[in-house]
Amino acid sequence: MTSEAILPQDDAMSLSDYLERGGKLTSPENVSPRYRGELLRLMSSFVDSELAGSAGFADAINWAPGLKERIAASRITLEKVDHAERVLDLMSEFGTDKTLYNKTHAWSARQPRDARIDPKRQGGDMRLSVFHYPLESWPDAVVMNTLMGMGTVYQLEEQALTSYQPLGEIFREILPREKRHMELGLEGLQHLVEDDATRAEVQTSVNYWLPRVAETFGPAQSDRFERMKKLGLRHTDNETLRAAWKADAEARLAELKLG
Amino acid sequence: MARFHSLEVTDIRRDTRDAVVVTLKPEETEVDAFGFVQGQYLTFRRNFDGEELRRSYSICTGLDEGCLKVGIKRVDGGAFSTWANEELKVGDRLDAMAPMGRFFTELEPGAAKSYLGFAGGSGITPVLSIIKTVLAREPHSNFTLIYANRQTSSIMFREDLEDLKNRYLGRFSLIHILETESQEIDLFTGRIDAEKMEMLFRLWIDAEEVDTAFICGPEPMMLTIADSLRSHGLGDDQIRFELFASSQPGRTKNPVASKAVAAGSGTCEVSVTLDGTTRNFQMDKNGTSVLEAAVANAMDAPFACKAGVCSTCRARVIEGEVEMEVNHALEDYEVRAGYVLSCQCIPVSDKVVISYDE
Repeated sequence: MTSEAILPQDDAMSLSDYLERGGKLTSPENVSPRYRGELLRLMSSFVDSELAGSAGFADAINWAPGLKERIAASRITLEKVDHAERVLDLMSEFGTDKTLYNKTHAWSARQPRDARIDPKRQGGDMRLSVFHYPLESWPDAVVMNTLMGMGTVYQLEEQALTSYQPLGEIFREILPREKRHMELGLEGLQHLVEDDATRAEVQTSVNYWLPRVAETFGPAQSDRFERMKKLGLRHTDNETLRAAWKADAEARLAELKLG
Repeated sequence: MARFHSLEVTDIRRDTRDAVVVTLKPEETEVDAFGFVQGQYLTFRRNFDGEELRRSYSICTGLDEGCLKVGIKRVDGGAFSTWANEELKVGDRLDAMAPMGRFFTELEPGAAKSYLGFAGGSGITPVLSIIKTVLAREPHSNFTLIYANRQTSSIMFREDLEDLKNRYLGRFSLIHILETESQEIDLFTGRIDAEKMEMLFRLWIDAEEVDTAFICGPEPMMLTIADSLRSHGLGDDQIRFELFASSQPGRTKNPVASKAVAAGSGTCEVSVTLDGTTRNFQMDKNGTSVLEAAVANAMDAPFACKAGVCSTCRARVIEGEVEMEVNHALEDYEVRAGYVLSCQCIPVSDKVVISYDE
C-alpha cells in the first residue's frame, strides 16, 4: 500500500463510485469526513445498545429460576460487553477514548415502564430506544431477549456487509454468539410457556415488547438509510428488515401458541 | 495519546527506477511499539514547506526477517514519495506511528490453507509481507499470487519474489500480468478485467480450494477481482481488501484548513471556561479543533469519540464565530442556542469565547 496515487488519471475512481460499486474501506485513513461521521454513529449506536443491553440484563441473573438459566443470563451479560468492546476498540482507531467513553452514560439507567419514548436517539446516548425500557421479571427479560435477539440477528446480518471492512469482520465474528443469545431466549421461553401461570405473564410481555422491538428497525422512509446506502454502510432498507424479523418472530411465537 | 516515534533509516535500496525499499530501526526502548503483524503499514509525517504531510506505506518484510522495511514508489507530484526516492539517506530519521492495519488473517501453523493474492503495482508491498510470513509460519499452506504491472521494469520486488519461488517450490506460484508487454501466454498480457478473471479461474485457479483472497491495488481492479471472486463462490469473509489510501479524500485537515484560512488566516485568541476556571490561549487557524487546542494547552476538556457523535465535548460559544465540521449529536435547537461539539469546532473569527460549563 502506498498513500500517494500510483496510477494515471484513467485509473482514478471517486470514493463514491467505489463505494456504490461495493468497494470496501479498510482503515481510518481512507475515509472521508462524511463517511467517518456516519460510520462512527453506526458504531456508537451498536456499542451503546450492547452496553445498555448488558447492563439491563444483569438484573436477570438474580431473577433466574435455576442454575442453567443463571449461567445463560450471565453469559449474555458478559458477551454483550465483550461485543461492545470489540467495536469500541475499532472506534479508538478513530480517536475515541475508550475509558472515557465507558463513563459517558449510565448504561443501566432506564425510563419508566409506561414511558412513551421517541424511537429517535435520546441526547448523546445512542442506544436503540428499546434499551431505555426497563425489564420487570425473569419472564419479561426472556421475552425481551428473544424478540430483540432476533432483531439483532437480522440487523447484524445486514451490517456484516458494511463497506467498512474491519467492522464487517467484527460483526461476522460476533453474529454466531448473538444468535446463541437469541436461542437461549427461545429455550427459556419454551420452558416458561409449559406452565399456565407463567404463560399469561409471557403473553403480556410479548404484547409489551413486540412493538418496541419493531421500532428499533427505524422509520420506513429514512434519508439516513439512503445516505448510508450510498456509502455502502447499509444495504437493506429498514422496512424490509422489519418485515423479515416480524414474520420470523410471529412464526416462532405461533409455535409456542403465543400471539 | 500522541503516537509518533522516531525511526532511523539504516538502509535504502533502489528496487526499480522509481521505487526504494527503506530499512528502519526503532529506538531500543521502542522496539516493542514496532512489533507488527504481516500486512500492516506505517504512517509517516514530515513537514514540506511548513505543511505537515502524513503518508502511509506498507511494511514489506515478513515476521521472521527481524527488521522493518517499507517500499516507497515514487509518484509524479507526490511530495513525500519523491522526497523518499530522491533525498532520503541512510542515517536520516523519520517520524512514524506504530504499525496499524488489519490486512491479515490469523496464522495457524498446523493448517493447510490455500491463499490467493492479487496485487497491482505497489500494492505488492503488504502482500509480500503476507506471502513471506504465511509460507514460513504455515508449512502446509500454499500461496498463488497474481501480480499486475505495466512492464517488467516496473515490477517491484521482482527478485525477492523469484527467490521465494525457488525457496518454496510447489507452495508458491506467481503469475505476472503485464499491461504493455506481450508474453508467451496471451492471458498474461493486458489488464485484469472480468474476462481475464474468468480465464484465470478456468485455467489456473480452483476457486473451491481458496480459503482466503487478499487484494491490494487500484480501486477498479479490486472491484473487478472481488466481483469475480464472489461469483465463483467466495464469501465476503474470505475476501480481504487493502485500499490504497491514495486518491481518497481521507484527510479532513486540508480542506478545513483552507476554509479556515479563507475566512481569516492567522491565529485566534481563545478563551475556554471549564469547571469554573477560565484559561486564555492562542491557537493557529489551521484546521485544529478547539478541543485539540484546549487539550494541547493542558486543559482537561471532556471528550470521548472525537467524531462529532457522542456529544461528550459539548460546549457553548459565548462570543465569536466557529465552524462545525460534523454534527451527529446536537439537535437543531441546541445549535441555534450556540452549542457546539468542540471536537468538530474550528475557529473562524479572531476571537472565540467558549464555555463547557453552560
